[in-house]
Amino acid sequence: MVFQPVREQVYLGCDGLSVRFYSQERPVLHHLHLHIQQGEKVLILGPSGSGKSTLLSVLAGIIPEHVEAEVEGDVYRQPACGVMFQDPDSQFCMLRVDEEIAFSLENRSVPREQMEPLIDRAMEQVGLHIPRDTPIETLSGGMKQRLALACLLALEPEVLFFDEPTAQLDPASRNEVFALLRQLGNASQHTMVIVEHVLDGWIEWMDRVILLDGQGRLIADGSPARVMKEYRQEMVEAGIWLPKLFPYHWEDVRSNSAHPLAVRLTRELQQRLAQRHIMWGAHTASVRETGMGDGASTSTVARMTIMGVRDEALDKGNRTTIATMTSTTMNDPDSAQAGAKASIDVSSSISSSPPTADPLLQTERLTIGYGRKSIMNGINVDISPGQWIAIVGENGSGKSTFLKSLLRLVPPLSGSIRFHGKELRKWSDRELYARAGFVFQNPELQFVTDTVYDEIAFGGRQRGWEEQQLEERTLQLLREFGLERLRDEHPFSLSLGQKRRLSVATMLLFDQELLLLDEPTFGQDARTAAELIGRLHRRQQEGTTIVMVTHDMELVDQYADRVLLFQQGQIAYDGDPSGLFLNQQLLQGSAIEAPLPYRLYLERKERQTI
Amino acid sequence: MKSNGSWLSTLNPSCKLIVHVLVMAVLMAIRDPLLTLAIWLVAVLIGISVAGWTIGYLLRRLLPYTLFFVLVCWMLATFGKGEHVLWQWAWFRVTTESLNNGLLIGLRMLGFVTYGMLFTSTTDLNRMMMSLIHQLRLSPKWAYGMLAGFRFIPLFQSELQQMKIAHRIRGYRQGHGGKAFLRYALPLFSQGVRKSERIAIAMEARGFTGTRERTYYVQPMLARRDALYAVALLGVTTVLIIWL
Repeated sequence: MVFQPVREQVYLGCDGLSVRFYSQERPVLHHLHLHIQQGEKVLILGPSGSGKSTLLSVLAGIIPEHVEAEVEGDVYRQPACGVMFQDPDSQFCMLRVDEEIAFSLENRSVPREQMEPLIDRAMEQVGLHIPRDTPIETLSGGMKQRLALACLLALEPEVLFFDEPTAQLDPASRNEVFALLRQLGNASQHTMVIVEHVLDGWIEWMDRVILLDGQGRLIADGSPARVMKEYRQEMVEAGIWLPKLFPYHWEDVRSNSAHPLAVRLTRELQQRLAQRHIMWGAHTASVRETGMGDGASTSTVARMTIMGVRDEALDKGNRTTIATMTSTTMNDPDSAQAGAKASIDVSSSISSSPPTADPLLQTERLTIGYGRKSIMNGINVDISPGQWIAIVGENGSGKSTFLKSLLRLVPPLSGSIRFHGKELRKWSDRELYARAGFVFQNPELQFVTDTVYDEIAFGGRQRGWEEQQLEERTLQLLREFGLERLRDEHPFSLSLGQKRRLSVATMLLFDQELLLLDEPTFGQDARTAAELIGRLHRRQQEGTTIVMVTHDMELVDQYADRVLLFQQGQIAYDGDPSGLFLNQQLLQGSAIEAPLPYRLYLERKERQTI
Repeated sequence: MKSNGSWLSTLNPSCKLIVHVLVMAVLMAIRDPLLTLAIWLVAVLIGISVAGWTIGYLLRRLLPYTLFFVLVCWMLATFGKGEHVLWQWAWFRVTTESLNNGLLIGLRMLGFVTYGMLFTSTTDLNRMMMSLIHQLRLSPKWAYGMLAGFRFIPLFQSELQQMKIAHRIRGYRQGHGGKAFLRYALPLFSQGVRKSERIAIAMEARGFTGTRERTYYVQPMLARRDALYAVALLGVTTVLIIWL
């Protein structure tokens, strides 16, 4: 093991680097060569377990200085560096903002009298415009990452390392952090090394992309455009969330309707709407505008234009149908022009008629809150069997609390909930939880046994099932969720994706008819997320009702039959997802970003009206 | 633990801590209920005069302890031994000795609680740790480590709560005693270890070495008012002991 001080020609990097942790047999990194120039912005990508974080730790000097591991090869480091970690909560050690930034300065032995201006400057640089003595615990996730960056800048580093800095943030905070880092990247000469599994927000301004495979070998190294083009397949296999826009620029796509991406998005929108349309007969969408009573009134959600959607929509309209579409330019050869001409009315009416099927779950004037403070008032929601319902809204809007209150996991402040028409509190735990399951954001919390098999079988054993029947059911679930090979593993030793799947599987032993999920795809890579959603989709087709809290609007658009938007203590929208994504007013007030096809459509329309 | 902006909160935390511990030691040593009452009243007076306590705050905080006080007194007084019977009914027998004993233990508890509250309600946690480094020569490694550790307490609470409801939905019957404790303690503990490892790495990555070669943003010093407070409180206590 040879460590060389910074050699002249290599600013930062490694030659023939292999790393093995003492607890593991196989090395995490295999014979890696990487040279990084001063000022370069480098993005490291790879599937989970590919050792990308390990590589970052080696370059930053955390391995082997603070974490022990067997390191072979030459490593070139810079002494002045700072690392930003994934979890906003476990990188602070003080209680207030100024003390935390000062901690960086103290470690560098900056004299006390120079500290205050330096703290002010660091806060200014990252746009933290809050009182200096603000307690850290009161900050949002995005603000915490701003603070983390301020602490790094106070170290006056030349190289900045970022280990999945946005993985644990909601989309609004994530965009906030992207913008900040990009601005910093443009304004300063810092060398930046970033590990991520999301490409949007990074790839536009990176100089270089490095791709590792599952065995910790380097498979691609080059400009973002080249790597994206030549290694697309490898990236998909690695479960990297591919960028929605790159290598194109939004401005081009928006202004030029013959742009390949614009054409594709327009086609996608047609398909999605057409798909929705088939399903529309069954569901009701209603827009509840503040100040509007329960009376039957109609509000126009969006008047939109698109080509190629047939008129038959018009006839489908019964009282609960939402959309009428008119297409004027079906056969227009120039799709670009067409995009601007035809029009669809997506209007909705509040139906005063009772829902068709008996609701599975019904809330009446439900008020929920933290402690005694209410956050959502007077929620009236009927959940019909077989629906896939998504609940969206900002962090802290009460989504999770609402979801938990539906299964009596937190007490509501007032109002009533009925499950199968019977008051929720009259159900016994045993009966209720045999019919409804709940998947927590942190699946570890639910695990009560020592092996994957026992974990799934647990509920049956509690109810004294016969061993043979139990085994049959358990094996079936193990197969369904791809956990057969792991049946004897300890639940805690699984990967996050596997833990989530196990957690869902344990909730389906009794073929529960209702499944509630709290951000089921959060923090996962694209592949494991897609696997889980695919399985849930199959379950839904077999009749399971699914209610999920999520920030992933693509997921909402593709799978949800109905979306509830929680905003300012009210349900601001309740209905078909496309109605929400086409409602400019709601979108602007809610920090929700509609999927690109809708966004393109709305922005085009806006330009035309101007 | 936060400063409440009162005069008492401007004092040096280490000095305040030592003085209060000394008074508590005195409380332990004396056996006279009247003297104990007097020393407790001193704490209440300090609380109202220089520690920024309002009567409402005092009542709210002390009410649970007062109920406990009544209970302790009653228990010790009615079932205690002694010669001089003051009052007797059914199996209750109050003697001078047992009444003295009950009052003493009850007041001693109140005194402890009140002096403790005087400290915690006026002391900022960070300042206290820094003061331990500066005045009591605690190693920065321990002081900063403890500060980081304090952040875990609310986290543990919410996680335990989550785990309880998560287990309920699985149909896990909450047992009592050792087994239930292990069931909750192990995952919490392993989470705690993982989190603290991460924090330790983050701290070291920011150049923390744990040695004394560093500067300090918060540097509590000893001032004249610290001496004033120490002399006054200890003096009053001594006078009370001699006088009563």
